Amino acid sequence: MPDSMIPQDARDVTLGEYLAARGVSRRAFLKFACSLASLMALPPSVGTAMAEAMAKARRPSVLWFPFQECTGCTESITRSHTPTIEAMIFDMISLDYHETLMAAAGHQSEAAREQAMKENAGKYLLLIDGSVATGLEGAYSCIGGQTNLSWLTEAAKGAAAIVAVGTCASYGGIPKANPNPTGARAVSDIIKDKPIVNIPGCPPIPVVLTGVLAHFLTFGTLPELDPLGRPKAFFGETIHDRCYRRPFYDQGRFAKTFDDEGARNGWCLYELGCKGPVTYNSCATVKWNGGTSFPIQSGHGCLGCSEPDFWDKGSFYRPLSVGQWGNAATLGGAAAVGVALGAAAAYAARRRQDKIAKGD
Amino acid sequence: MAGVSDRRDTAYATAILHEIADLLGQLAAEGRGGAIDLRAMPLGPEDRSRLEQVLAEGAVKASIDAGGPSEIFETVYPGVWWARHRNEAGDTVAEFIEVTDCPQFLRSQAEDIRDGCAGLRRLLDTSHPQ
Amino acid sequence: MDLLTFARGPGLFWAVTIFVIGVLWKLVGVVLLRAKPDLSVARKPSAWTGLRLILTRTWPRREFLQSTAYTEVLGYTFHIGFFVALAFYLPHILFFEDVFRGLIGVNFQGVFGVSWPYFSGGVIYFSGAVAFAALIALLIHRIASPVKRLISNFDDYFSWLVTIAPLATGMLAFSHVGAPYQTLIAVHLLSVELLLVWFPFGKLMHTFTVFLSRGTQGMQFERKGATL
Repeated sequence: MPDSMIPQDARDVTLGEYLAARGVSRRAFLKFACSLASLMALPPSVGTAMAEAMAKARRPSVLWFPFQECTGCTESITRSHTPTIEAMIFDMISLDYHETLMAAAGHQSEAAREQAMKENAGKYLLLIDGSVATGLEGAYSCIGGQTNLSWLTEAAKGAAAIVAVGTCASYGGIPKANPNPTGARAVSDIIKDKPIVNIPGCPPIPVVLTGVLAHFLTFGTLPELDPLGRPKAFFGETIHDRCYRRPFYDQGRFAKTFDDEGARNGWCLYELGCKGPVTYNSCATVKWNGGTSFPIQSGHGCLGCSEPDFWDKGSFYRPLSVGQWGNAATLGGAAAVGVALGAAAAYAARRRQDKIAKGD
Repeated sequence: MAGVSDRRDTAYATAILHEIADLLGQLAAEGRGGAIDLRAMPLGPEDRSRLEQVLAEGAVKASIDAGGPSEIFETVYPGVWWARHRNEAGDTVAEFIEVTDCPQFLRSQAEDIRDGCAGLRRLLDTSHPQ
Repeated sequence: MDLLTFARGPGLFWAVTIFVIGVLWKLVGVVLLRAKPDLSVARKPSAWTGLRLILTRTWPRREFLQSTAYTEVLGYTFHIGFFVALAFYLPHILFFEDVFRGLIGVNFQGVFGVSWPYFSGGVIYFSGAVAFAALIALLIHRIASPVKRLISNFDDYFSWLVTIAPLATGMLAFSHVGAPYQTLIAVHLLSVELLLVWFPFGKLMHTFTVFLSRGTQGMQFERKGATL
């Protein structure tokens, strides 16, 4: 009998029963559902409906495949000091495959994966983190002798929906950075016929993933997505629009170095390269580590890590308004070309004058 | 509701109070209230103090320990309840104003009642075996 | 590559390069032209004092004021408003300082001892809006006046368009109106790049040639002994 993280019979209970068995009262669950609805800007009445729907749901089978990744997304999702919303929702899903967290290893874990895929065909949620290597037909990233690419295409067939966790899975992320030696691609570049939700971020904020899972459990569908496939509830606004340092931006008070008076006073970090104005995420409202802080609050500009190709958009420390105009050499070369053209034009004009003067 | 300020810095509070009045009227006439999510709008400090001033604590105050501490009190306007929910770490995770005769968080939940009943029966069976 | 990355990357690079090539081409091409030798006797030993025509021509003579005051005032309003919005807004200043540092090798503050001053966003927005309104008024005049309309050509209208576009797109980006901010800022950058690319090939070159033409005319008048 294959090892699995969750005993066979536990998968047959509803979420409500599973939680009750773990000492979580319905009242506590109701409170959690209403908090989650509030976070996702849903009306309070939806919170109650979510609690009822989720409690009746069977714990869905979730397969988490790690591809070309650093495991930071897993670290982010599982890092919680006290039982919080994230930990609770994570307990609720039946995580049938997760290489870092599951007890099994080697062939036994692969057998568990295959069994879960067979038993829950058409119904499991596929979570991918890390980009998909396509160079050398995918040989750059393999698990158990099989390429990530083949795992993805095979598992996608039986998945109800796919969640691309982190910027690497959503858009290619760091492996895709120039010159992209492994041919890294996003999940949505490979799979075209299944609902895919992107939860970018390097790493993503934990509650975003739990919010998406909760939505799926309640409504059976993925939440409303923006043009880049991100849930609008969490990626609908830029960091800049919700940044607590925005008044300083509007007043024109900027830190010029990382330890000057402006930096100590908590002024805007635009001059130090903050990409907040063009980055969509919830860092400024939900924040990190249970609402402790986020990069700007800690004194460093936003890197734009939830946007595609953030690694290739130029220096993190170059302000948004400072584009790539070239350098002294290119402008010097351009000046030389200009002078040469001008001299040639003047020469041609003088030649024509001479011709006219001679009467030709 | 005399003395509700029309100043711009308490505009949100005024809007919320009007919505509460509407819901309260509905509750009184048809028995159907509603809830307002206080985190859904950017309340400034003036808004908050205005709300706290108008919706002061009334006769009932309850503290709940479910997935972290929560506090619910009925305001001086019967039927208008203010609920503040925190997680185990003490962070505020939700804040609602409920217009109802009894907030859902105060009610015992059907499933919890059933589980409790089964538990009590088990206790009685073991202490007084038939 | 998305629009903003293009606008901040190759778009800006080629616009600036074409600008530099074009401006030097046009200026050198004019300066190196053969000037007809003046065979008359010079009335003054040195004609260099004639350069003051550059200053004296900044405002029309009294005789012409009645017919030119409207466009003169609106013209200055536009130029000053545009200049303030361009030169005293911090995100713009950061760009200029980067170019300065890239060409000279030292910080602006290192050379001049003071940092480049800037105004708050609200002041800049007002300045840009005033410049925008002045341009609209000038276009209306150009179209309504029968003489101006008759002599206006593609250069006049297109130069007007590439000048007002950065003002309009800048105001839109500042107020976050009409599209996601990334798109607004990309469109603003692209409008500036269009201005830079067109600049050397139309009447916008007056930016440099006004000094050349007033200067040479002043020197010619001075040599002839004419009143400046």
